[in-house]
Amino acid sequence: MRAYPSHRAVVSFAFSGYVALTVLIAVLPAASVQDTRGIQGAPARSALAEEGRAIYLREGCGYCHTQFVRDLPLDRPYGRATVAADYANEAPPLPGTERTGPDLSNVAARQPSDTWHLLHLYNPRAVVPQSVMPGFPWYFEQKAAAAPGDVVVPVPPRFVAQGHVIVARQEARALVAYLLSLRQPEVPK
Amino acid sequence: MLQRRSQDPTLRASSASDSPTVRVTFEYLVCATVWLLVGTAAGLLAALKLNWPDAFTVPWLSFGRVRPIHTNTVFWGWSSMALVGLALYVVARTSRAPLWSPTLSRLALLLWNAAVVAGLLTLSAGVTRGPQEYREWIWPVALLFVAGLVLNGVTAYMTAATRRIPEFYVSNWYILGAFCFLATILATAYIPLYQRGLGNVVIQGYFMHTGVGMWFTMLALGIAYYEIPRVLGRPIYSYALGVLGFWTNILFYTLIGAHHFIFSPVPWWLQTTAILFSVGMMVPVWAGGGNLLLTFRDTSGVLQRSYSAPFLLAGIVAYVLVSTQGTLEAFRSTNIYWHFTNVTVGHSHLAMYGFIAFVIWGATYGLVPRLTGSEPDPILVGIHFWLALVGYGIYVVSISIAGILQGFAWVAGESFIRSVEAAEPMWLWRTAGGVLMVTSHAVFAVNVWAMRPGRALVDASAAPAVEVSP
Repeated sequence: MRAYPSHRAVVSFAFSGYVALTVLIAVLPAASVQDTRGIQGAPARSALAEEGRAIYLREGCGYCHTQFVRDLPLDRPYGRATVAADYANEAPPLPGTERTGPDLSNVAARQPSDTWHLLHLYNPRAVVPQSVMPGFPWYFEQKAAAAPGDVVVPVPPRFVAQGHVIVARQEARALVAYLLSLRQPEVPK
Repeated sequence: MLQRRSQDPTLRASSASDSPTVRVTFEYLVCATVWLLVGTAAGLLAALKLNWPDAFTVPWLSFGRVRPIHTNTVFWGWSSMALVGLALYVVARTSRAPLWSPTLSRLALLLWNAAVVAGLLTLSAGVTRGPQEYREWIWPVALLFVAGLVLNGVTAYMTAATRRIPEFYVSNWYILGAFCFLATILATAYIPLYQRGLGNVVIQGYFMHTGVGMWFTMLALGIAYYEIPRVLGRPIYSYALGVLGFWTNILFYTLIGAHHFIFSPVPWWLQTTAILFSVGMMVPVWAGGGNLLLTFRDTSGVLQRSYSAPFLLAGIVAYVLVSTQGTLEAFRSTNIYWHFTNVTVGHSHLAMYGFIAFVIWGATYGLVPRLTGSEPDPILVGIHFWLALVGYGIYVVSISIAGILQGFAWVAGESFIRSVEAAEPMWLWRTAGGVLMVTSHAVFAVNVWAMRPGRALVDASAAPAVEVSP
């Protein structure tokens, strides 16, 4: 009769071998890079921007927008190449795998206007007609008249009911604060 | 072209001999089918949103929420449940033993359904771990899934351990292996100890890569090594190649996750290792895929008569294609043109749909009617096959062209919006392909219901209207 390997031998060898490979290729390399320090002198995010980052995660912005600039000519428009220190204090970091929209690592340097960002978040078609980005109108309020202290968004007439104004809620302002915090600090030589 | 065999007296004999196992398998397939419908409806909605971004502007139907719902539901709901349902039967059958504990497997199914429902609700509400692909579920939800995974792993292992024949068939290597691997992968992905900063990116590359290759691929291959020889009525071309494929898959596949982050700050040696072993992947892919394809040689007669064999053949062809594409995508040179583009989306659908879903369908149509004695209408099976094949053909080709156009636009240094405009007509084609795919799933659901156990024993005149009489 032919000798067959036992189920115990196959499974225990495959299992232990797999755990060993995982430790070698994933756990140890991750542990060895996880304590890279952030860039010295880089400004910390404000509490409002931190709140905005939570909304950025909640709305899945990272599925279409990377924060991962490569040292390649086609990535030059997005800033300098991303370094490990850029991800140091990010939980989780958001390198991303797809660019249905542009990279945002350094978006505040490219587009510093908070009004532009508010308009763009309310309805991207208000500023970029060809855009396919979703709008986030639930972070805005349509009002008959603005109250004192309201942040009014100058939405083009076709995006708002006549005689009304669009006002940014706290969440929209937080999201914009986060986007405007995305400015690559200089890497010390 | 297709023949009904419902009068075949051998069909009922096997259904009586291992009835609890068959019922468990069928319950898994029914739940999986529900998640297929839900998960791909979400996928279709996400596709539509790129054509009509202002449609359904409510938070829980926003693109950024629907996308993880689509991926997680088809991964953990549809693919995992269907593969495990079939795999449990394969383990029991090749062990000539009943399933060790149908009760534990049912409990596992309950836990998995609870996880998928909880995942659906939390992700809809925006409760997520962020866009860390396929590990978006918060840990309590993932824990429900892991509990089910462990129960099923133990059941599968004990079933093989109590086998009544000396041989530990190669299918069981893949299937039992898959449970060990996914347990390791999920633990590694959710334990936070080494995941600060860049550590998280290293783990993300490992997770999203091995989650596919060491779970779905392993289960699908294990099922294929049982079902393809059985449907074709001939032994596997080479048993030894199957074993070689198993060990080389473990070694090479595990080491290449970092190829998802080429040109990143992830250590350069890790990226280079990943690229080298991505080339090494041609060994298990062509050993395994070639082995299964060679088993198909000179079987055009069976392919014409059987309604499961075409699904299996299409699945294995997609396996070889998608894996070869994966190797090509890993090089730094091709990465410049393809990374971040829709080529990635085409690649993942060729894998999870062309390969995994087609193997599931082939095995379902090949096995279930023999076990339950109830057959689907062959015409409807044919409609399912062609809608799914043509649908995903259109999908993969159009989305890949979209990706190539995006890549060219970026390399040419055009403004970003030009890449959106270039891809847009292709996104419309992608949606059209998606409509055909989702329609085929509705047909599959009708067919699954027609294959339910006990129907053959019921008076045909009492059968519900969805069933087409011979």
